[in-house]
This record gives sequence, structure tokens and C-alpha cells, in this order.
Amino acid sequence: MSCNQTSNAVGISRFWGTLAFRLTAGYALAGLLLVFFATASLYLVLLTELEKSTDLFLADKLHVLRTMLRERPNDLDALREEVELESAARRYEQFYIRLLDERNTPLLTTPGMAEQLEMPLLATQTRSRPDRAIAMKGRHGQSFRVTSAAAPVGSPPSQTDTIQIAIDVSQEQELLARFRFWFWAILLGSFVILPLVGYQIARHGIRPVEQMTTTARHISSTNLHERILPDGYPVELASLADTFNQMLDRLEESFGRISRFSADIAHDLRTPVNNIRGEAEVALARARTADEYRDVLESCLEEAVRLSDLIGDLLFLARAESPLTHLHRERVNVAELLGGVREYYEASAADGGVSLTTMVDPKPVIAELDRTLVQRAVGNLVSNALAHTPPGGAVVLGTNAGFSTIRIEVSDTGVGIPAEALPKVFDRFFRVDSSRSQGSGGTGLGLSIVQSIAQLHGGNVEISSQPGQGTRVTLHVPASGAR
Amino acid sequence: MRILVIEDEAKTAKFLKKGLVEAGFVVDVAEDGVEGLYMALELEFDLIILDVMLPSLDGWQVLTRLRQAGRRALVLFLTARDAVHERVRGFELGADDYLVKPFAFSELLARVRSLLRRGPARPQQTIRMADLEIDLLRQRATRAGQRLDLTTKEFLLLTLLARRAGEVLSRTLIAEAVWDMNFDSDTNVVDVHVRRLRSKVDEPFPLKLIHTVRGAGYVLQSDQ
Repeated sequence: MSCNQTSNAVGISRFWGTLAFRLTAGYALAGLLLVFFATASLYLVLLTELEKSTDLFLADKLHVLRTMLRERPNDLDALREEVELESAARRYEQFYIRLLDERNTPLLTTPGMAEQLEMPLLATQTRSRPDRAIAMKGRHGQSFRVTSAAAPVGSPPSQTDTIQIAIDVSQEQELLARFRFWFWAILLGSFVILPLVGYQIARHGIRPVEQMTTTARHISSTNLHERILPDGYPVELASLADTFNQMLDRLEESFGRISRFSADIAHDLRTPVNNIRGEAEVALARARTADEYRDVLESCLEEAVRLSDLIGDLLFLARAESPLTHLHRERVNVAELLGGVREYYEASAADGGVSLTTMVDPKPVIAELDRTLVQRAVGNLVSNALAHTPPGGAVVLGTNAGFSTIRIEVSDTGVGIPAEALPKVFDRFFRVDSSRSQGSGGTGLGLSIVQSIAQLHGGNVEISSQPGQGTRVTLHVPASGAR
Repeated sequence: MRILVIEDEAKTAKFLKKGLVEAGFVVDVAEDGVEGLYMALELEFDLIILDVMLPSLDGWQVLTRLRQAGRRALVLFLTARDAVHERVRGFELGADDYLVKPFAFSELLARVRSLLRRGPARPQQTIRMADLEIDLLRQRATRAGQRLDLTTKEFLLLTLLARRAGEVLSRTLIAEAVWDMNFDSDTNVVDVHVRRLRSKVDEPFPLKLIHTVRGAGYVLQSDQ
């Protein structure tokens, strides 16, 4: 039960969080406010206009009566006729007139007036505000507007004589009541209809987003080539779709690289494992001499060492990519470092008939580097250069210091690299000549490692090559570790 | 010298024991952390080879409790993760050395020997092996009284092999010790250097001293 409630609560809060809900609520609220203010202001206008026209009517009547009294002071009969006729001609908006002399004796009264109104109340209420119309309730609850004014009525006429006029405005009140009814009805209707309409609008607006979500949802590693077609979307969403597609492009590319990489790893691991397995199996198939066993074991050991080296290189690359990797920087005299590497490879170079020399600035090149890593990078480059340079060629190690970076350069007069292969040489497991992938050792990771080392130092690697002429690889590394 | 190997992987434990016994050590094996810690506390060992990834009680915990109990046995830990913080942690907890898997057994043996040898080393002035004589003070080597014409690095290489005569030295170790190259370079560079050294030290003489151990490295010894 409680679990049910919790899930309900979660459902509700999730619904509250939806864009459709927020948009709907916004639309509905705005619509309701608009309808409310529109109808309410119309009502107020109507109310004041009706009152004003009634008051004008009363003032008009008062003016007519005064004129008649002035023109024909003693013709009460004509006046009565006028009053009775006019009031009898009206079915709605009945109005009543009473003329009083200075002693408040009624001289003339519209018939039925006393049945409709409390006369003394009328007298007291109107006396306080002469010439102004005020609202008053009749004996039967009808609404009236009444006014009184001083006018020379009696004989002899006196300034304290009074005209009282009352008009029945029940019709107007009913009109206003009907208006109020419709006002609430419209408001209620809007209250029901606006959220529905708002929801439709919101849904319509969100639909492209939902379509996009659906497309995005079923994109997985197996169908990374799928894209959101930007046509038919509003401009804002089209740019979102575009951004999303670009992200997918990048993802697909790195995914492709990773799966190629995995395939390459699998291949490079399989070969030595296969050798170990095969050799051991064949060796055990029948009895052999101790020397034969020794030979097999030694061969297995060689393969195992190859595997270890490969794993070591892969681990190194993986670690280099981790943002947590930090360098053990120290002040390094780069020329000395190159000299050490040259000494190490000297014998191999001499064996291959290649001259290995260093060419350094007289000005010492000092930089804060991770000595071991830079040694490894230069070692890899020299090893590559020696492997691809025929006898009689030369490999030169050079370094010089720029404004804030140092350059380390390894150039050879070797076979070179075809232009189309050049952009790929830093890819893991890439080998220019795939046929010589195994035999010559080399994991195909050497240049990737060089690149990783340069990047770890905040620098980069450049390679240029002329087939048949030679290759030049340059490391650009900031001289100081401070970044 | 008594060594305790705490290693859960049976094959690794087996070859470690076999290799170490053949190298002249007394070896006990524990298959998990709890057993290893118990043995380390109950018995006296000169050195403990400790795998970090162990069931029930990992290597770090074993090491911590061992040091808490005041045991000063030397500890060499084996890790599959060559991360700096892993090494730092090991040393902080009181380990003496480490090796990253996969490692060469010859490398392990060299580390074990050097750990157990630590302390005041006997200052040596000359090393003799059969008719080979190396004068460390004057940086001269002779065979059968005949002066060998060696470069500085060749002399260093010969000295390294002679100092650890009978031990198989891996190419990586040689590159590190002689040329200060601290990485697994393509190892045939060392082969070339050794071949050059051989041409001077062994070729002119009937008794060969420098031997290749295929897949492992080189060893200097007078008998086959």
C-alpha cells in the first residue's frame, strides 16, 4: 500500500516535471487570466454606462419638468397629463414623479408611486444629496434610482418646493445578473477548455523532441551509423539534431577505431599464444630428447616475452590516456640524453652499416622532462630509423631550444613512408608494410607510444617523409613543466 | 634463507617455489591472505613474496597487519597494475620492493638476491672467474693474463655479468644497469652489445664464459 502511494507520488512528481505539463499550465493560466480580465472589464464598463445613461435620463426629465414649471407655472393639469402619459407609455423602466410644495405636501404624484416606494425614506435619502441620482430599494425589492431637486412648484412658487423622480432599473439589474452568469460560465468553460487546448499545443510543440528521443534511444553500438534527419524540424531543433549527429559522427569514428584496435590486439595476442600452444602440443605428442624439450621451452619463453612486451606497451598506452597520469619531471640536459641513446644504439647501427650521430646546438638544451619517457620516445624513433635505413645510410639525432619549447628530431636516409600512409603512422598497430608485421619484432605500437609521450608532456609529434629519401620525426615539447 | 610465497594462483605459486628452491632457498607457499598472514606471524621468514590481489585478505591488509605486529621480514610485492599510486602505496605500507606482472623469473630472482644481500656490501677490488680477472680499481680486464681491449660500456657490461655470475640477467636489466635505459626497448640492441663483448672476451679463448639463455637473457659462468 505504502509502496503504491510512493509510486503514485513519484508518478505525480514526474508528471509535474514534464515539459508538456509546464507548457500546458503556462498556456492555461495565461488564457484564464486573459479571459477573466477581458470579461471583468467589459462588465465594469457596462455597469458604469448603464448607470450613466439612467442618470442622464433622470437629469433630462428633471430639466423638462423644470422648464414646464417655469413656462406654465400654474398649469398643474397639463403637467399631470404629461407625467401620467409618459409614465403610462412605458412598460419597462417605469418611472415615477412627485412634486412637493414647501410644506412637503404632495401636489402631484404618478399613480402607484406610493405602492412601489417608501416615501419618507425617499425624501430623507434624496434630501442629503440634491441633484444626484442614488440607488434605492423599492417596497417589493426592485431596484430604483432616485433623485430630487428644488424647483418652483407650488402656488405661490417657492424655492423650497421639490421634485422627486424615481426610475425602476430592475431590467438593468437583470441584464447585469445575466451578464454575471455568462461571465462565470465563460470562465468555467475556459477553465476546462484552455488546459486541453494548451496540452494539445504543448504536445504538438514537443512531438519533434519526442521523435528525436525515440531515434536517439535505439541508437546503440550496433547501429551507430543512424542519424536524425534534420529536415522537417523547426530551426532550433534542427540545430540540436545537427549537433547530435556530429556527436554521433565522432562516436562512430572512435568506436570504429576501438573495434579496429580490438581486432588488432586479438590478432597480435593470438599469434604468440598460438605458437606456444602449438609447439607445446606437438612436443608432448611423443617422447623427445632433453634437447628437443629444451628447444621447445625456449621457444615458448620467447613467445611469452613477446606477449609480455606487448602487454607492457598496451598498458603504457592505456595509462598515458588516464588523466591521473603524472610525469616525474626533472631538469634534463637533452643533448646528454640523446648522447646516451646514441651510445645504446651505436652497436646496432654499426652492425647495420648505418652511421648514427648526434647534432646538437652549442647552447645547452635544458628542459623539465620525464627522463625515462623521453628516453623511451627517442629510443623508439631511433630503433625505427635503424630498422628502415639500408647500409650506408645515416641516422641523425638533433635538438634545439625555441622560445618556450624544445625540439628533438630524429631523421634518417631510409626507405621513407608513402604519403598515403603518413597520417596513419601514429595509429596503434599500424604498420606501413603489413607483410613484415610479425617477423621483425615490433608491436606496431612504437609511434603511438612516442605520440603519447609527447602529449603527456603537453607537446606533439610531427612526421615528414619522402619515399626513397628518408623520414624525419620531430617532437615539440614545452621546455617547462608549468602549464 | 627462508622465503614465504603468498600467491593464490596455483601455477604462479608452483613455478615460484620451484625456481626459488632450485636457487637454493627454503620456500613455503600460502594460498590466500589469511593463511599467509598466519604463517608469516607464526614462523620466521627472511623474505615474503606477496601478491596484492588475494582472496579473503588482500596483500595490502596482510602487509599492514604484518607491520603492525612488528615483523620486519623483507616484503617484495607482486602487482598486475603498474600504476604509480599502487607502488607508492606499497612502499608506504612498508614493502621493500615490487615487481609488475608479467615478470621474468630471472628478474625476480635478481631482486630477491639483492634484497637479501642488502646491507654492508663487501668492497671488491677484483673479480675472478676461471682465467678471467677484472680489476675494478684500474678498470682493466684480462683473460689468461692477456689484456682485453674493452670500451667503457663493454667493461661495465662484463663487470655486471661477473658480479652476478651464475645469475641469468635479462636484457631489460642489462640495458637499465649499463646504459640507464629504463624501458623495454627492442631487446636485440643488447644482443648486439653482448655479441661484441663476446668477440673480445670469449672468441679468442677455448673456454666460453658468456652464455645465452634463450628467452631469458645472459649469464656468466665457467661451466656449461
